[in-house]
Amino acid sequence: MCCREGPRWGRGHCAPSPTLLLGLLLSAAPLGLLGEETRQVSLEVIPDWPGAPQNLLHIRAVGTNSTLHYVWSIMGPPAVLLVATNTPHSTLAVNWSCLLSPEPAGGLTVLPRGSVQFSSALVFTRLFEFDSTNTSEASAKPPGKPYPPYSLAEFSWNNITDSLDPATLSATFRGHPIHDPTGAFANGSLAFRVQAFPSSSRPAQAPRLLHSADTCQLEVALVGACPRGNRSLFGLEIVTLGQGPECPSVQEQHSIDDEYAPAVFQLDQLVWGSLPSGFMQWRPVAFSQRQRGRDSALPCQASPVCLTLEYPLPQSPIVRAFFGSQTNFCAFNLTFGAPTGPGYWDEHYLSWSMLLGVGTPPVDSLSPLILGIMAVALGAPGLMLLAGGVVLLLGHKQCSEYQPIN
Amino acid sequence: MEEDDEEARALLEGGPNEAGRGAPAVSAVPGALPALCDPSRLAHRLLVLLLMCFLGFGSYFCYDNPAALQTQVKRDMQVNTTRFMLLYAWYSWPNVVLCFFGGFLIDRVFGIRWGTIIFSCFVCIGQVIFALGGIFNAFWLMEFGRFVFGIGGESLAVAQNTYAVSWFKGKELNLVFGLQLSMARIGSTVNMNLMGWLYSKVEASLGSAGHTTLGVTLMIGGITCILSLICALVLAYLDQRAERILHKAQGKTGEVIKLTDVKDFSLPLWLIFIICVCYYVAVFPFIGLGKVFFIEKFGFSSQAASAINSVVYVISAPMSPIFGFLVDKTGKNIIWVFCAVVTTLAAHVMLAFTLWNPWIAMCLLGLAYSLLACALWPMVAFVVPEHQLGTAYGFMQSIQNLGLAIISIIAGMILDTRGYLFLEVFFIACVSLSLLSVVLLYVVNRARGGNLNYSARQREEIKLSHAE
Repeated sequence: MCCREGPRWGRGHCAPSPTLLLGLLLSAAPLGLLGEETRQVSLEVIPDWPGAPQNLLHIRAVGTNSTLHYVWSIMGPPAVLLVATNTPHSTLAVNWSCLLSPEPAGGLTVLPRGSVQFSSALVFTRLFEFDSTNTSEASAKPPGKPYPPYSLAEFSWNNITDSLDPATLSATFRGHPIHDPTGAFANGSLAFRVQAFPSSSRPAQAPRLLHSADTCQLEVALVGACPRGNRSLFGLEIVTLGQGPECPSVQEQHSIDDEYAPAVFQLDQLVWGSLPSGFMQWRPVAFSQRQRGRDSALPCQASPVCLTLEYPLPQSPIVRAFFGSQTNFCAFNLTFGAPTGPGYWDEHYLSWSMLLGVGTPPVDSLSPLILGIMAVALGAPGLMLLAGGVVLLLGHKQCSEYQPIN
Repeated sequence: MEEDDEEARALLEGGPNEAGRGAPAVSAVPGALPALCDPSRLAHRLLVLLLMCFLGFGSYFCYDNPAALQTQVKRDMQVNTTRFMLLYAWYSWPNVVLCFFGGFLIDRVFGIRWGTIIFSCFVCIGQVIFALGGIFNAFWLMEFGRFVFGIGGESLAVAQNTYAVSWFKGKELNLVFGLQLSMARIGSTVNMNLMGWLYSKVEASLGSAGHTTLGVTLMIGGITCILSLICALVLAYLDQRAERILHKAQGKTGEVIKLTDVKDFSLPLWLIFIICVCYYVAVFPFIGLGKVFFIEKFGFSSQAASAINSVVYVISAPMSPIFGFLVDKTGKNIIWVFCAVVTTLAAHVMLAFTLWNPWIAMCLLGLAYSLLACALWPMVAFVVPEHQLGTAYGFMQSIQNLGLAIISIIAGMILDTRGYLFLEVFFIACVSLSLLSVVLLYVVNRARGGNLNYSARQREEIKLSHAE
């Protein structure tokens, strides 16, 4: 723990009284508080300590008796901190001088400390590129000869304030490598578009993940960067916190429903600990065109999640500031595309979306249209059979009454 | 014209149910020819049968080429599913009209021999154009190729049947029809399981995947059409030779099509048409789109997906004759059709709403499909006077093709925008409409005292009473 003095940056109402807090804690199961229909969502850029070109994006989603904090940062590699509290009054406190110091632990806190029910973080550390020219096997690992990866910690990013859109509750971090000797990113960029939601809904664009007020969406888009090979596949390394000595695992949920993402029958999620806790959810599909149709859909493969003891990771100051240095990091890779089929080479475009949230991950249910059609399609012949049966039975009776005359 | 008919009738050896179809006049041949070369001997007829079976092989093999190479076509030609399904629609369009005229062209214009050769040529040229479309990376050319292929395809099947009647009438005709149908299914099955492998071999030898690889693969697939054309030529020679030796008449379809008959079609016949269209549109377009479904939803490998996608045809090859026998022996056609449609509905519901092993659903679909074919098509003959039979069957095939063409396009569009679940629900709705028509047909038939649902014994009794 470092410096406790210095300017503290806080927001929200005054801290709740200890009795109220105790009452809340006793009256509800720890995470039963989460999972609200609607939330009051606010996006705010927390300005930096004068002189340092850094800033944080703080998404605060307030429900009736809980608050979710998402803190996005591009100090070091892009990272997000996810904190769920059981009070509508919790606040984020930033100690910039501490945060920017070499030992940032304690520079970022959510107050009151006792209200924190769940916290975790994701760090996007590296962008991989593979040459898949001579790889015919679609599921080969690695999917081709790897080029040196781009370290996202060595990217320079735009000013987040310019892309902040309070109407759609979204903001975009757009960046390119600081050192780009080949000029690959001369006309290109890697963008992280973050969006929060006040209520449950589904976006119009594929992959149309169902989101709720408890979630926040990230869309990663690689646009215009020159690939280093004719058939380059890209991948993303994602680092998260381990739960003790274990790493969370990626669950693949198979579903029968592909109405919202044609021909994608799978939903992948990474859940920290037992449900309900935090989760990261995505469809294993990326797109190689802005018009995200089925003809531009790329498969997205996730590697197993492993502890990252073997190699050094670029550190994210906000993660260390919140969690301290005594944490296990786990990493996994996502690879977009296959050696054959559509790919980044089509239009120099790649996009992939995921949800980050707390509580039970949203589950797709059959749409009313499908249920309606099925009801009519199975009901009509059934009714007809029933009616026909009754009519024929009655007809039989009449016939048998007349039989003596015959 | 009428004299020709008279002549053909005079040559018939009885069997009133096939009136108007030409038949060989068997007479003793003077001089001793080896059995294989003697048109009056069984061995020679078996040779002809073999040629007849391979006559249709090429067109059935190539018909489902797009389904077997769905992912490759869409990837190499950069088309979405909607445009991909146009390949099937373009096959069906010419047949909406040709079903009425195929028989006429064979009987009155070309004759069976030239007709068969010409239709085989259309199939060959169509497949070559289709393949060239791939080589030149022109999707419109592929569509045009499928159109030309369609002109030949269905009419060739009519020609094949005419040859069968001409050579086997009064002998092994039902068996021959069964074998021809089985051969067609084998053609489709071989295609489904072979083309993917062939594509990968061509890819390996050319060094990369792409439209050229696709074109070359399709061109190699076209060899089967050449084989069929050769069979058509040899058959024409043998048929002419048999005519010379046995003095047998050239085969005729005997189909008389009068479009004005359509207005006299009864309600049960229209219901049969609805059953037919609504049923087949839920089977053929599904098979056309099925491969990717099995890969994506059930995690099948490309090979396994091809195998399961062709299982409907595999089952129908041996089961068609068996079900045919069963339906013949029991009668009660409407009940059988009802069973087939309900089974199909169940199969589609399983595919749509469960993750059960799809082999169960596809085998059910295969059984139901075979049963329906055996029970539905003969029903037309019960509700239509004999002189309108040609028109009724022509019309049935025509609207079936129309339905297939339209539904193929719609199915592609649904798949692109709404996915497989919605597509399956759409097919379920189609089958349900078919089921509704079956129930309605039963009620109407019952109310009118129709003969559609008689058992075989009742039919026999009625036949006897008519004879008296």
